[in-house]
Amino acid sequence: MTTANVYQQRPGDDVKAETPLHHANLPSLFGKGRNNPGVTLRERKLLGHLTLRGEAHDSAFSGGVHKALGLELPVALGVVSQGELSLQWMGPDEWLLICPRGQEFALEQQLREALAGLHIQVVNVSGGQTLLELSGPSVRQVLMKSTSYDVHPDNFPVGKAVSTVFAKSQLIIRHMAEDTWELVIRRSFADYWWLWLQDASAEYGLAIAE
Amino acid sequence: MSQVNRLPNGGRIDRSKTLSFTFNGQHYTGYEGDTLASALLANGVDIIGRSFKYSRPRGIIAAGAEEPNAVLQIGASEATQIPNVRATQQALYPGLVATSTNGWPNVNSDMMGILGKVGGKLMPPGFYYKTFMYPKAFWMTYEKYIRKAAGLGRSPLENDPDTYDYMNQHCDVLVVGAGPAGLAAALAAGRSGARVILADEQEEFGGSLLDTRETLDGQPAADWVAKVIAELQGLPGVTLLPRATVNGYHDHNFLTIHQRLADHLGDRAPIGTVRQRVHRVRAGRVVLATGTHERPLVYGNNDVPGNLLAGAVSVYVRRYGVAPGKKLVLSTNNDHAYRVVLDWLDAGLPVVAVADARGNPRGALVEAARARGVRILTGSAVIEARGTKRVTAARVAAIDTQSMKVTSNGEWLDCDLVASSGGYSPVVHLASHLGGKPVWREDILGFVPGDAPQKRVCVGGINGVFGLADALADGFEGGARAAAEAGFKVVEGVLPQVLAKPEEPTLALFLVPHDKGTARAPKQFVDQQNDVTAAAIELATREGFESVEHVKRYTALGFGTDQGKLGNINGLAIAARSRGITIPEMGTTMFRPNYTPVTFGAVAGRHCGHLFEPVRLTALHAWHVKHGATFEDVGQWKRPWYFPKRGEDLHAAVARECKAVRDSVGLLDASTLGKIDIQGPDAREFLNRVYTNAWSKLDVGKARYGLMCKEDGMVFDDGVTACLADNHFLMTTTTGGAARVLQWLEIYQQTEWPELKVYFTSVTDHWATLTLSGPNSRKLLAEVTDIDLGKDAFPFMTWKEGLVAGVPARVFRISFTGELSYEVNVQADYAMGVLEKIAEAGKAYNLTPYGTETMHVLRAEKGFIIVGQDTDGSVTPDDLNMGWAVGRNKPFSWIGWRGMNREDCLREDRKQLVGLKPVDPNTVLPEGAQLVFDPKQPIPMDMVGHVTSSYMSATLGRSFALAVVKGGLKRMGEKVWAPLVDGGVIEAEICASVFVDPKNERQNV
Repeated sequence: MTTANVYQQRPGDDVKAETPLHHANLPSLFGKGRNNPGVTLRERKLLGHLTLRGEAHDSAFSGGVHKALGLELPVALGVVSQGELSLQWMGPDEWLLICPRGQEFALEQQLREALAGLHIQVVNVSGGQTLLELSGPSVRQVLMKSTSYDVHPDNFPVGKAVSTVFAKSQLIIRHMAEDTWELVIRRSFADYWWLWLQDASAEYGLAIAE
Repeated sequence: MSQVNRLPNGGRIDRSKTLSFTFNGQHYTGYEGDTLASALLANGVDIIGRSFKYSRPRGIIAAGAEEPNAVLQIGASEATQIPNVRATQQALYPGLVATSTNGWPNVNSDMMGILGKVGGKLMPPGFYYKTFMYPKAFWMTYEKYIRKAAGLGRSPLENDPDTYDYMNQHCDVLVVGAGPAGLAAALAAGRSGARVILADEQEEFGGSLLDTRETLDGQPAADWVAKVIAELQGLPGVTLLPRATVNGYHDHNFLTIHQRLADHLGDRAPIGTVRQRVHRVRAGRVVLATGTHERPLVYGNNDVPGNLLAGAVSVYVRRYGVAPGKKLVLSTNNDHAYRVVLDWLDAGLPVVAVADARGNPRGALVEAARARGVRILTGSAVIEARGTKRVTAARVAAIDTQSMKVTSNGEWLDCDLVASSGGYSPVVHLASHLGGKPVWREDILGFVPGDAPQKRVCVGGINGVFGLADALADGFEGGARAAAEAGFKVVEGVLPQVLAKPEEPTLALFLVPHDKGTARAPKQFVDQQNDVTAAAIELATREGFESVEHVKRYTALGFGTDQGKLGNINGLAIAARSRGITIPEMGTTMFRPNYTPVTFGAVAGRHCGHLFEPVRLTALHAWHVKHGATFEDVGQWKRPWYFPKRGEDLHAAVARECKAVRDSVGLLDASTLGKIDIQGPDAREFLNRVYTNAWSKLDVGKARYGLMCKEDGMVFDDGVTACLADNHFLMTTTTGGAARVLQWLEIYQQTEWPELKVYFTSVTDHWATLTLSGPNSRKLLAEVTDIDLGKDAFPFMTWKEGLVAGVPARVFRISFTGELSYEVNVQADYAMGVLEKIAEAGKAYNLTPYGTETMHVLRAEKGFIIVGQDTDGSVTPDDLNMGWAVGRNKPFSWIGWRGMNREDCLREDRKQLVGLKPVDPNTVLPEGAQLVFDPKQPIPMDMVGHVTSSYMSATLGRSFALAVVKGGLKRMGEKVWAPLVDGGVIEAEICASVFVDPKNERQNV
């Protein structure tokens, strides 16, 4: 009896790929814009994204995740990372794993092996979302324009991540370093977020980085 | 024109920076640091507009938010028009263009003015209600002219070029108002390390300290203000918001602040900057330090230009270096107002006299005035002013405030400026927005905030703490308390020394008696913005309007942009006296946000234009655009509607697209369909319970159509679900239902069946879906895939994995057109490459992209429903003739089973889904058209159903429709009629809902 259908969904790197912001042609904007921009945006594209669900209180589950990923299961509103791998708490029984492009298939297999026999879900959502990195001294102002969640470091320290309301939709906000934040956005909303972020950053100056 | 009223020195203006501006087409100059009001007064502009009802000339009365008359239209171009700007709160900027909003055709010679003079008596309160209500239908006509004559400002006809936005703020302590109490509170809270926001509506922080005669630590008060601001700026947790009016105090300490970031800079905001910002503040504690508004006294002709608030005169003299007149008479009932006398004398101008209603005033300020030789008439008041376009004299007489009688003939004093002060009303608006009832304090003759459940502290003037030293101490203590309650350790502080000048009590005087009595006296205005007089309020109470809310609505007291800031307390006092009750018994009207008017731009923020609503795009959107698609909004998605070729309209394009699918092969972007990945050992059982049909026996590799009902047995979503592995399913939902269905599944799993081990994750955005449909779809797909597409290897309602155009794909053999179809799913990042390769290979097969319109026609020809179009939440599976999708023998009950077995749901004459063929094959029934069995029956007709889907079919060569008809399934071949709005009637025959290939021979190949 097969419990789940697991298969390699990503073709080789030589196959044409378009990120959710492909149409914005970000490479054409590299190095343009104001000097000393308040906000710098970088699309961390085509990464592997896996949704993981399971029983947080079951030590077999948390132990298995650690065994497979080398990361401790983060608790509420936390994101932990090691190198290019990050694991974020999404809900009482849900986490988001982000990994380098193409590693998601092997990681899913490792997770399923380490968690064999447990009731879990691993889902490849790599094509459905992308990661935008915002850095610079004015990022917090841009976030304040966009979300009613309190992004002051007192309330939103480095290592915290939330899914919340942003402008008129929702996304994930992750605080990765003092002036570095990440937004995990859904593919279909990418154009809206791109327009929104350009607009909200305009008064501080926006640069696009490679 | 020269600034005739500008004093040679003094004021917080920069005389080296001359700014030119226009008012009603005339050119004037002022200085940087002026408000529009101070600049107009400096230029000797007396008449600022015409009054609302009587069209009397009006001038500037106040210096702040309470100004009722100087409410102007600002804007140098059509696009930058802003109505309802208070000149007292508008900083002067170069090139400012202001016009009066009332006064038609112009303020100095006004047509309505004649009516005002002649017909004053013709317009008692309730005039509009009484006069213009009949005939009722004419109100709209009357209203247009009344509004124009009254002048309430106008909105721009062009798009505003400026940017307005929101900023979400969070703080431990929000301090509202940066006068002495507010500054002290901010200092105390800020030093504790708390996150503090200090917001003040004026151009500069400091409030009354910017014009006070008092000193702090022996230095000018403004020096202390500068020192405090510098310290606050150095505290990392403190945010200073100048030009920011706290307009609303909402539930849970959520407050809205309207900040004017660039309104002081020019007609347009500098490029790249934001003009106005709404701060949405969530505050742990709120310190209200909103201060007081001075009340004017109510006397005859108190609206003639040249009647000002005493405190406002001081502000203009000391803060702006402007003397709004030459010869001053002061009418007062309190000590504090005497400072205007000293300010006036210091400016080198003559004080004609002071009329003090009190019998023997001996306070320090009074004595200071007396010592400078000022004539003080005690037990007296200005009972009437004279003048038409400017005050020329004031009549001062002895009054008895007990009997409300004038007790002497009095004398006319030559003057051009009457300053009046009737005491100080705490600004309780914000404190009352959430319904907290203000409490009357007889000792200060004002309402102070009552108890409220909000986490807030009131300090200074709003609390009835009027002396400067007391206000500073109260503010500091309140700020410290707020910070401590928010969990911060308070640091001790030393407050500046103030030389306390004891003041004697204020005498209760609101309406000043006149020897002719209120009804016959010259008009004694209470609310100047709405032309409400003391006589009108007394008339209203005599006519039986006793409640303060009724008096307000009958007389218009407290309406308009100023919301009665200047007049309401006087109005309440007059109404109370007229009814023989006390002021607290009369009570106040409701206080509602916003405190002062807010522009629509600020309300909208950035949620306008292309950012008005999120737009969702599929991974193939750019291809659709390139191929000329016209788009349709489906929820937030943009879906291709149809792909017109040159010269084609919708009808021609859809006919071509339909034919291509039926004859060869078409391509549809089905990526928007909701997709939910379901895993867990109980996934199958869960599906049994949320779908109407049975899932126990669906093998791995197979797919099945399912109907989902709500508990009431009514269909709410549908879609195909495939078994990917024993414990793994992929569910598809309607485009619009995706989020709703996922939520539905989670709610049922979490609350009703937590014992079922199953997880759900949305994969809608992860997979892009390309549907190939038509008899040539197999041949076309075979050219780009390694999957065996043979009839037996890959039968209908199964799925396979394999490479399509070099990309790993899941291909589902399902059909929404009735043709041989394959739905190719690939990770969305790779969809464009796959599409391009399929399109290239498709050239040999006339591969035709089609949109939602063609999809709708093709599926309707097959009788396939669209949930939400053919259903409306009142339709059961049996009503749809889809009883085959109901698992009547499932062991465990499931959602909708009980609902659909209710007696009413089993009636045979329920509205049922059928097909309709219009008798005229060229006539397309309108969707939504109501149906009747007898078109000749009298109106109202007995309606028996309606058309749900209706199209012209290229395949059938005729029009056709789907409809719900009462008992329709047993009425095959019978006629129905659709009576139309234009009087026409369309006749149609009831038929089966499947029009094309009823035996499914085309899809099972």
